[in-house]
Amino acid sequence: MNESPPKKNHRATRIRRRLLALFIDWLTWGYVAYGVMYFLNDYWWRIPLERFYTTLTLPPWGWPAAVLGTLAMAMICQVTGYSLGERALKLEMKEERPLNKEELLMGRAMGKPFWRTQWGVMAVFLLALTVALGWHIVKIDIEALLRPSRRAREMLGEIFPPDFRYFFASDPAFELRGLPYSILDLMMVTIFMALLATVLGAAVALPLSFFGARNIMGFSPAGWFVYGIVRGFFNVFRSIETMLWAVVFAIWIRWGSPLAGIMALTIHTVAALGKLYSEQVEGIDPGPVEAVVAAGGDRLEVIRYAVLPQVVPSFWAFTLYRWDINVRMSTVIALVGGGGIGDMLFYYKNEGQWALLGAVVATIVAVVWAMDYLSGRLRERIT
Amino acid sequence: MPPKYPETYLREKPSWMAWERIADFLYFGFKTLGKRLSIALLDVGGIAILWILTSYVIIRLSTGEIGYALVPWWTFGIGVVEIAALWESFGRSFGHRVARLELRRGDGGDPALHQRFVHWLLWHVSVLPLVGLLPTPPLHERASGLALRPFTMEGRTPKPWWRTSTGLYVAWLLGISVVAAVSVTISWEDLVRLFTNAGSTAKFWRSFFSPDTSIIVKTVRALVVTVFMAMTATAFAVMVAVPLSFFAARNLMRGLIGRSIYTVIRVAMSIIRSIEPVVWAIFFLVWVRVELAPFAGVLALFVHSVSDLTKLYAERLESIDPGLIEAIAATGANRLQVLRYAVIPQIVNPYISFTLYRWDINIRMATVVGVVGGGGIGQDLFFYLKGNLWTQAGTVMLFIIALVWAIDYFSARLRAKLA
Repeated sequence: MNESPPKKNHRATRIRRRLLALFIDWLTWGYVAYGVMYFLNDYWWRIPLERFYTTLTLPPWGWPAAVLGTLAMAMICQVTGYSLGERALKLEMKEERPLNKEELLMGRAMGKPFWRTQWGVMAVFLLALTVALGWHIVKIDIEALLRPSRRAREMLGEIFPPDFRYFFASDPAFELRGLPYSILDLMMVTIFMALLATVLGAAVALPLSFFGARNIMGFSPAGWFVYGIVRGFFNVFRSIETMLWAVVFAIWIRWGSPLAGIMALTIHTVAALGKLYSEQVEGIDPGPVEAVVAAGGDRLEVIRYAVLPQVVPSFWAFTLYRWDINVRMSTVIALVGGGGIGDMLFYYKNEGQWALLGAVVATIVAVVWAMDYLSGRLRERIT
Repeated sequence: MPPKYPETYLREKPSWMAWERIADFLYFGFKTLGKRLSIALLDVGGIAILWILTSYVIIRLSTGEIGYALVPWWTFGIGVVEIAALWESFGRSFGHRVARLELRRGDGGDPALHQRFVHWLLWHVSVLPLVGLLPTPPLHERASGLALRPFTMEGRTPKPWWRTSTGLYVAWLLGISVVAAVSVTISWEDLVRLFTNAGSTAKFWRSFFSPDTSIIVKTVRALVVTVFMAMTATAFAVMVAVPLSFFAARNLMRGLIGRSIYTVIRVAMSIIRSIEPVVWAIFFLVWVRVELAPFAGVLALFVHSVSDLTKLYAERLESIDPGLIEAIAATGANRLQVLRYAVIPQIVNPYISFTLYRWDINIRMATVVGVVGGGGIGQDLFFYLKGNLWTQAGTVMLFIIALVWAIDYFSARLRAKLA
């Protein structure tokens, strides 16, 4: 009895969960309304009215009507039981009645297949709506896929066999852009970019990760503060794509400079590795830490003798994994001004020289595949 | 009177004539040959890479050109093989380390210097023409009285890494790679600009605080297209990858035919996976008509997702608990029932969580695929960047960051719930 939470709190939680369920339902119906509007618009365009091609828009009173209408639908759903929100939060309305034999055997949930339950009907309807909507928004066209364009047939004719003429020697046309490199040279540059980004990123992330680990930082206000800052940094910087960073650094340094690519990869690496590292530090066995503390070790000694030995293998594994990702990313980062083999890739693509492009792609495939294999094998051995 | 049998009737055949013995000899011969060869290849390859990188740095720093070997190729070849032979005879080489072996005397003691010398000399005779490797132990080991034994730490103090040759090798490799990387990718002007030119991005950051409100509706529409691109690609990829994964799981594909199907699928998938979606998008943008840009983006994401998901799913299938399968099979269930009651319950949650993870990645990728013209918000971003419209580009980036962050957050929450 002592363990039951205070009555008032319990009630607040219940109300909050109810409201959340209602909100989820509201969003669901908003989505349905959006879908209906989209389809109306889509077909409106296709009705051949004389000089009357315009998008269908809501009248001024339409917006409040839509908002209230979806809210009403959500409420009706909650009452009648067609509610996804309730199902998601496990807030089923239960009838007070004895279970029948089947339900006793299989449990209440197993009584009906999900498409016979009310939330199941709703879910199937939403799924169908999503597929239909996706089909229209993305303009899926199977016919176009099965019948390639004339340019595609040209490309297929030229790309096999790939032309490795410029594997060792540099392409004169490409040299005009101030890059006297062959495919091999640029591939080396690409691998080096990934290497530098990984080494730099790991070197920065390693010390930072201890500041982002709950168990190392302790529970003092200062500890909370530093922890929050470091974790926030990891989260925000991780959600900004490497490609976007490359745009920023291409403006900052120079379009097409490898350093821009390295900086972009490094920043993303720091954030991603930092998060993985600090989660690993948080998951260590506390026994050795206590032992070192009991022997009179200070915080640095705890890290050196109790934490590091436990996390080093997985740190290596994460770093290798990241190196693998960085090699993949660095092959295309030139698209947004990051330098490397992507420069050549997109140059040949723009020129339409498919045979030479094929050679570049084949080289990329070989290198990425080899790196993937190597890092996989190494990771297997380490962990 | 006993019948007259030939003299050799009761005698056994000489052992070398028995087919099993010959087969054994060849089998074990080739097995050890393969092992020794892979050790030698690791050492030779490792030394070659180190040589190439070192000469790359020397050439780069002395002349500023790019070159890969300081010496003619035959000198390079002989030198590399010689150094590898010396390393294998006089120390514990990288290959030995990987195979967890070491060179010991027949009675287990430390090898003497003259034995190592004989080992090195005869190494040329036995490894280079490969004949000396066929008998076990091979020629150079038999003559020098040394043998490769499993490495044990028993009765020894571990050496620090800088006292072992492999440690020094790896340190040199890493060091020289970093020097080479710095020398070829970072120029002085770029470095100066990195530290002095931060102001040039100000126009960009400013737009984060005063975004262009007139393009918000357009951006949100493009954002919806991006989300649906990722969703459609993931949905179709799941439909293809789930059946494929059963053919790509080693523990389910037994026998010659099964193994060959497994190998073909795995190799094809790993090749497809090594090409970034952006490159696939280039290909599909040529394939389909120009008006169908989002469709080309979806196809690119789809192809990459199928290969990635197949690998993830198959690896999960390979690590299922065989005990449950045996238990269900013991009740007399057929293959389909085993699949239904023993395999599927074990994989449903991981499959859903992988799918969510992939959807998350696809959203990020969909923005990037747009940059080459694959539709969605990336296309807008690239358009604004090309036109030097920084405010608009910053606004679009703000939306992308918000979307990616939100999707990342929700997919992580859901996955934590599933695990």
